[in-house]
Amino acid sequence: MLSFSWWHILVAGIWGGLLSLERRAFLQAMFSRPLVAATFAGVLLGDAHAGVYVGLVFELFYLGGASLGGAHADHETLPAVAGAAFAASLADASDGPSTAAMWSLGILMAAPLGPLGRVIENALDRRAARYLGAALSSADLGNFKRVSRQNLWAMWPHLVVFGAITSAFTWLAWGLSGLEQHLPLQLARGLAWAFPAMASVAAAMAVRGSRSRRAVRWAGAAAALTIAASAVMSLTGAHP
Amino acid sequence: MRLTRAVRLQVFWRSLFLQAGFNPTGMQSLGLTYALLPALKALYPEPRAHSEAVRRHLSTFNTHPYVAAAIVGGVLWHEERIARGEELPAVVEHYKSSLQGPLAALGDGFFWLSLRPAVGALCAATAPLLGVWAALLLLVLYNTVHFWARARFFTLGYRSGPDLVGSLARLRIPRWGERLRAVAAAFAGGLTAWLAVAFGANQDGVGAPLLAGGCLSVAVGAWAISGRAWSPLIMLYCAAALAIAAGSWL
Repeated sequence: MLSFSWWHILVAGIWGGLLSLERRAFLQAMFSRPLVAATFAGVLLGDAHAGVYVGLVFELFYLGGASLGGAHADHETLPAVAGAAFAASLADASDGPSTAAMWSLGILMAAPLGPLGRVIENALDRRAARYLGAALSSADLGNFKRVSRQNLWAMWPHLVVFGAITSAFTWLAWGLSGLEQHLPLQLARGLAWAFPAMASVAAAMAVRGSRSRRAVRWAGAAAALTIAASAVMSLTGAHP
Repeated sequence: MRLTRAVRLQVFWRSLFLQAGFNPTGMQSLGLTYALLPALKALYPEPRAHSEAVRRHLSTFNTHPYVAAAIVGGVLWHEERIARGEELPAVVEHYKSSLQGPLAALGDGFFWLSLRPAVGALCAATAPLLGVWAALLLLVLYNTVHFWARARFFTLGYRSGPDLVGSLARLRIPRWGERLRAVAAAFAGGLTAWLAVAFGANQDGVGAPLLAGGCLSVAVGAWAISGRAWSPLIMLYCAAALAIAAGSWL
């Protein structure tokens, strides 16, 4: 198990900043999807398990979200990376692998970053209008290299701002990393219960967000099939 | 005058930065101009014509970032004709403005609202079994379609020119949409049940059926009220509060 340090805060910030660029400015190859972003944040911070489970919940939660036209959806990458970093730091402090209670704390602490990220993204977009103005005046002057650079310069604020937020949140998580060990046992048990409950809400959001005409039918059939398979496994002695 | 393969590749690479300078005024215009600059430089050696060409692409432009590759390819086709004097510059502006809306709807409907949810739900559902590999599976499954589509759209746009709509129609993209959305719903439903059963099975005594049944009820309840005024974030916190209370005191 790695011990948390400033190096981890820096790594989390760089990862968060780069993914925010990938999400909007360059490529959009889904490295910034919560499942991918959180999993690799977990790997980088020494607890892949925390990343997978925090990412799974945020993946489902934001499954139907999309920036359509000029309107932005909530920033799904920021809470995923921050939540994974939070859970990984708790695991690091406990000197063991992460638990469902730690994943829950990570999700609960990081979830508000989604809407916050959207607000910041809108503000950065408004700021980016200045680059268009500079490009227009440069085109008139025949300075085409400067026109070209405007598009790339507009990426810097996203990298810096979202990287700084991720770093700050990881630093906060580091400061609070002893928290989970001081929680009463009953509350820790309650937090462990909160994880599947939040995953259930996220899955309901995913079913709604799928926009399938027969979403309920498909989801219900798959759920019934899973329960039936689990019952058969349980009867035959295999753990589901 | 025809653009060389090297210039076209450079334009395609730069089109991956289409949204870097996104802003409410010009939207993707800065990114589009950035992508086209190598081609415009090659086509217009005379500074005044070059400047006019750059300016006409700095007007408002917004579409889906993947399907934009088709428009970028089509713009190259038109710009070659404009540079040869076979077409008026207004034609390329009309081409962009008439296609950006319909292609945005096509891209949003297929990539954002069908393929991404389907692959995301599938990989989330397999994450408890595959662990880190689920994230890699998501990247491979999604990007196999994504990169193929971007390259194909760009080629179609450049080769088809004004016949782009017909060429895209022949790909019959929308017919996959409903199937993929059904996949997303099915995997999300299956995962809900699996998590409820798996976490319930880890509890002793009355806790097992209570947690499993409670999670399934929360999922059904959340689905029922999610279409109304309830914020998903509030629902997430309410479910957590309920579960913390139940887990702590029962």
